[in-house]
Amino acid sequence: MQTKFAQLFVFVRRINRQHIQVVFALLALVLFVLGAGAPDDGGLIPH
Amino acid sequence: MILLVAILAGLVVGFSLARYQKRPWTVPPLRKPWLVIIAFLPQFLFSYLPVTRSLVSDDLTAAGLIVSLALLLIFCWFNRQLSGVPLLALGLFSNLLVIVVNGGFMPINPQTAGRLVSPEVLAALGNGSRFGYKDILLLPEQTRLIWLSDHLLPPAGFPYQVAFSIGDVIIAAGAFWLMVTQGKPLDALNNKPKQDIAKESEC
Repeated sequence: MQTKFAQLFVFVRRINRQHIQVVFALLALVLFVLGAGAPDDGGLIPH
Repeated sequence: MILLVAILAGLVVGFSLARYQKRPWTVPPLRKPWLVIIAFLPQFLFSYLPVTRSLVSDDLTAAGLIVSLALLLIFCWFNRQLSGVPLLALGLFSNLLVIVVNGGFMPINPQTAGRLVSPEVLAALGNGSRFGYKDILLLPEQTRLIWLSDHLLPPAGFPYQVAFSIGDVIIAAGAFWLMVTQGKPLDALNNKPKQDIAKESEC
């Protein structure tokens, strides 16, 4: 159990401000194209 | 889906190019990214999320879509100095324009929609019905600025059928370019001083 906690601690320490910024910027870009684009494959309509 | 492919392709090409040129790849330095999340919220609630979509009137959904696109345009203004963003803004403006002049939804004609759903479903929907997430079924003669509407299709044999607009193509190109160049001008990527590369690799 202690080993698991230690592994988790090491993992969390690796996540720094820069990683969060990268994820946030990519998320913003994905949401931008989903929001701005209007391609339609007939979603939400039963085929 | 096709727009996400453009981002992914841009990411792969941009990353590969950066490795080839021995420089680090970073995400484009977007300003005010939270504005995109706020802008997307009305679309998510009114168009994408089935639970809330059924509770909202078409008029409110149309208004939400227009407000959402207008906010995204403001986001483009704040990031206009990044390469690729002018293309994103142009495609977005093109979609916004055709949506506004057609009552708040992206028009799609029945012939194009017929490639996406079965004839029975299409017959049940009828003219003027909502179609998909942001579209509305309209006859060509009822559609304003039809050349900006969702009238483009991949070849008939293509496994994934989707209707898209010229604006979508421009947005895809902008997203691809933004990811490849990381928002920097091309000459800044090519003429990078070697001492800068050394400094960045130390960090």
